[in-house]
Amino acid sequence: VASIGCALADLDWAHTFPLESNPAHEDPDDRLMALAVADQARRRLTSGLRLPAGLYLALGAAVAVQLGTAAYGIAARQLPGWLSCWPGWRFSWAWQRSCCTGSAGPTESGSTVSPARSSSRLGPPPRSSTLARSPPGIWAAFDSLWWLVAVAAVAGGTGCALGARHWWHAYRHDPAGHARGASPRALGGFAALACLGFPALLFFG
Amino acid sequence: MDGLDPLIHPPTRLHLVTMLSAVSEAEFATLRTVLEVSDSVLPKHVSALVDAGDLHSRKSFHAGRRTTWVGLTNVGRQALRDHVAALRRMIEVFD
Repeated sequence: VASIGCALADLDWAHTFPLESNPAHEDPDDRLMALAVADQARRRLTSGLRLPAGLYLALGAAVAVQLGTAAYGIAARQLPGWLSCWPGWRFSWAWQRSCCTGSAGPTESGSTVSPARSSSRLGPPPRSSTLARSPPGIWAAFDSLWWLVAVAAVAGGTGCALGARHWWHAYRHDPAGHARGASPRALGGFAALACLGFPALLFFG
Repeated sequence: MDGLDPLIHPPTRLHLVTMLSAVSEAEFATLRTVLEVSDSVLPKHVSALVDAGDLHSRKSFHAGRRTTWVGLTNVGRQALRDHVAALRRMIEVFD
């Protein structure tokens, strides 16, 4: 009876997973090995990822443009000023999106996989921090201190580029822990801050 | 099965979801190359996991080619976390 029961258990498992083994018969070493091999597969994928050359510089420039145009647009409080925000945001968004895409590098066999054919999309860099860098430039723009707007924009862009670089190093060290970027709670907090802060600046500025 | 997720437990699926836990999405060809599985095997695993809600997939065109992108859902991420925790508990018990 025991052998029949065992056979039925095997049959049921084989029906459920026709391609794989039965975990009921695995020993701890098998399970440890399964985890180790899975981690190796993850490392194979992430170690082959490369970011485009000059990305940090481009990202910093994009965010600086975004901060500068946003400060001007908000301080101007007129349609042309608001319209000037759009290219900055669009430019920054495009670059931040490109930052999230890394191409898979050389495969195990030594051949190169082309980025178009094979790539992995990473989690986002901490883009929410851009919102936190906006207020200095906006305050300077309200006082027409354009040199200070430029300084604030460059400082913000540099900070964002350094933040992205820091994120990338952290990701390479712990891919799973940093693949998702900013938490939804943090993004929600920054969105709420933006929703409340920008109208307040327009009203009281 | 002591907290093990039977859907994720098979080695190829465990490797697949573990890899996807490190990226937002990965292209099908990349997964096939890294996992070193055939064209016929991977779609079966991906389909089963998509049906269970652990993965999401989408089609897109890139450079004239039709590509498939696969990513881990929040459900799948939690399922992987629970499964790995169960595996570690079992290993500790035996140690």
